[in-house]
Amino acid sequence: MSLRDTIRIMVIDDMSVSRALITQSLEELGVTKYQTENDGKAALGKLVAAPVHLVLCDMNMPGMNGLELLHALRNNKTTARIGFILITGQPTPELLRIGQELGLNNLIRKPFTTATMKASIERVVGPL
Amino acid sequence: MSNPILDTFFEETEELLESLAEGLESMQGAEFDKETVNSVFRAVHSIKGGAGAFKMTELVNFAHSFETVMDAVRSETLALTPQIMHTLMRSADCLADLVDAARSGRTISEEVTSGFLTALQACLGEGEIEAVDAWDNFEFNAVTLDIEPISADASAVATVETPVLSDTDQVQIGFQIDFRPHAALFTNGHEPALLFAALGDLGQMTSRIDMTKLADWSDFNPTEPRLSWTVDLRTDESEISVQEVFEFVHGLCDLTIKPLMGPPPSPNGEVSTDSTGAPNKSVAGPLAIAAIDIFGPEAIAMPATPLTAAAPAVVVASRAKAERNDDGSDAKAPKATLRVDLDRVDRLINAVGELIINQAMIAQRLQDMTSTRDDDLVMHIEDYRLLARDIQEGVMAIRAQPVKSLFQRMSRIVREAADATGKLAELVTSGEGTEVDKTVVERLADPLTHMIRNAVDHGLESREARAAAGKPPMGTIRLSASHRSGSVIITVKDDGAGLNRPKILEIAKRKGLIAPEAELSDAEVDQLLFMAGFSTAATISNLSGRGVGLDVVRNAVQALGGRISIATTPGQGTEFTIMLPLTLAVMDGMVVTVGGQTLVVPITSIIETIRPLPSDLHRIGTDETLLSIRGRMIPVVDVARSLGFPSPGTLNAPLLLLVESENLGECALVVDSVQDQRQVVIKSLESNFGSVPGVSAATVLGDGRIALILDPDAIAGGRVTSNYPMTNILSNAGRTAYANA
Repeated sequence: MSLRDTIRIMVIDDMSVSRALITQSLEELGVTKYQTENDGKAALGKLVAAPVHLVLCDMNMPGMNGLELLHALRNNKTTARIGFILITGQPTPELLRIGQELGLNNLIRKPFTTATMKASIERVVGPL
Repeated sequence: MSNPILDTFFEETEELLESLAEGLESMQGAEFDKETVNSVFRAVHSIKGGAGAFKMTELVNFAHSFETVMDAVRSETLALTPQIMHTLMRSADCLADLVDAARSGRTISEEVTSGFLTALQACLGEGEIEAVDAWDNFEFNAVTLDIEPISADASAVATVETPVLSDTDQVQIGFQIDFRPHAALFTNGHEPALLFAALGDLGQMTSRIDMTKLADWSDFNPTEPRLSWTVDLRTDESEISVQEVFEFVHGLCDLTIKPLMGPPPSPNGEVSTDSTGAPNKSVAGPLAIAAIDIFGPEAIAMPATPLTAAAPAVVVASRAKAERNDDGSDAKAPKATLRVDLDRVDRLINAVGELIINQAMIAQRLQDMTSTRDDDLVMHIEDYRLLARDIQEGVMAIRAQPVKSLFQRMSRIVREAADATGKLAELVTSGEGTEVDKTVVERLADPLTHMIRNAVDHGLESREARAAAGKPPMGTIRLSASHRSGSVIITVKDDGAGLNRPKILEIAKRKGLIAPEAELSDAEVDQLLFMAGFSTAATISNLSGRGVGLDVVRNAVQALGGRISIATTPGQGTEFTIMLPLTLAVMDGMVVTVGGQTLVVPITSIIETIRPLPSDLHRIGTDETLLSIRGRMIPVVDVARSLGFPSPGTLNAPLLLLVESENLGECALVVDSVQDQRQVVIKSLESNFGSVPGVSAATVLGDGRIALILDPDAIAGGRVTSNYPMTNILSNAGRTAYANA
């Protein structure tokens, strides 16, 4: 069993196109255990109830943005150790700094390809 | 082959553009909150993100500049002047164009977009718009992670990760909640008892009331809360769920939520007790009432309740957890929707139409079989009819759409038209929630666009003329939609100068549209606007003078089974009213016989049925007949002759249907007999056979016969037999005399 068969990933993005693109890439990578959420708060609730290994989360979302979700996850002990990769189009220095402080695991730059996504994920969890 | 994700992108973008337009619209108003600006920003951002994934460079670049300006607005480094607001609105239009171009694979000339880009750049003044790829070379040190197996049971993870506390026998067993309501909590209509009841749903709770702040009775102010509570809640719910209970009173109270430590719950599930020692399960109901009593003097909502519990009270609430809806569904969540291929809906609609016809046939057969009448069967058939109607209404509702999206597009048309003509104009819409058949929404876009342009271009006066007339410089176009007795009414109204009738008449004569000596009533002059080849603008302007006149608008509206009328008040403006059927699939009609043929006349156009006395009929000339009714003269149209059926002959005591026609006011149609009034399913003739003048569609009756649906306007307007054009009709003295009646 390789990692890609066991790893559990949650994809959080308010846009269904982005979710579709991310999950499409995940499927190409052979990851099957993924779930999707379209709202940061709802995702937080689900993660508290049933954590996953890794979260791929969009930065810009209504209600709760990616970094706010990361902050909330890190402050809850059941979810504090979940891997978190932020997906953003504008990795500004400010965003990188806050991310680093909150213990962000990695960042995927939009627009991404399956290859860049694979590289980003593997730098966090090792070879898929 | 189409890419399903790309399709989703365009669908989603459509929604984003809508919320973008909506957001900008509300930003124009005096009051808007930060969330509105945020939502506009997010819309642009998301479009950019999606476009980036599909490598739509033009779109990305434009959205990027737009986004940068929106970001400045969001962070309040850029003040929202009317000028900037205008640029944002126009940029949203351009963005919509770019999306449209990307969808159809067209490109938009760079000149167009660069103009908008310059305007956007100008908004920022000194500030630079960073290149799209400004952040390409970012550095981020990835933090690696060990993947451990996740136990299926979440609580197991929790215990693994919880710092080991077992040596002191203290684990978190719930939360301690300190709650002190502010006066605003009560004035906003909240009720602590309900909050506690909600907390009680999460687990077992024990509360202590703090009355130390209670004021002296001499100094008692009933609206000022003096009490606070400390609640120990034993629960395995997360802190989030506890916070959710207080979500709506956030900022209206002092609230602290701390973990509650204690010995782990015993496996027996020991029942805690309240101060009286009674098992809490038995007191859940009564205690809720006791709790309300305590809040009595505090709660404005119930000032008459006496303070019954003087001592610090202990409230224990516990409810069976099973009662809770544990799926976490949220009442605020947006309604779930389903995207369905339109073909499928249309197939369904067609099938339902057939079903209704089938039902009518069975009912008819049953009626014929009077000898073997079976009451049960009659009852079942009646049920069948009701069910079929229910299904039909349900299916029709699928196709119904609010006109909001259509109206939103119109505000753009007003902006463009105002820019092009140098006038100031604003669009005020109402009734956007009115639902209309999808086809109507789609097919109305062009006519409405044309009418809105006309309203700005021809309806509104120039700034100077408005100033001279003492009107505000900003012209107003009002667009409204409403339902009225089975029809949808859409009006376009401007506050301009009203129609210039002498000029219209002069133009019509000059263009040879009417005879030079014709004398027309005001209503007829207004109708001239709808004639083909008419254009009032003395000089052809950028906007309206494209050779497309209001006749195109009228044809489009008629194709939808609707009617258009015009009303004008000199100096105050012009109002166009479009009246459309609610659905294009069924209608109420009167089944009549004409020349041995069964026809259906739409109920909406029938005013009344008349059997006139021979003395009420007046012959004019060789073949014109007028009906005298309530002191007015109304033309009589022989339907049979108009349609080319053998005429019944004498018109001495005919049965007349008084119908309302948009062109010539009222008019009476001659029919042989009236059979029935019923709902008929409309079957298009054009798609099944061909266009027939005077007939709008066909239907299948209960006995299986096909009946044609009459177009009363065409019949009344004489357009059917009119081998002679409109000119002759209008200049025909016999007709004009009564048209004005």
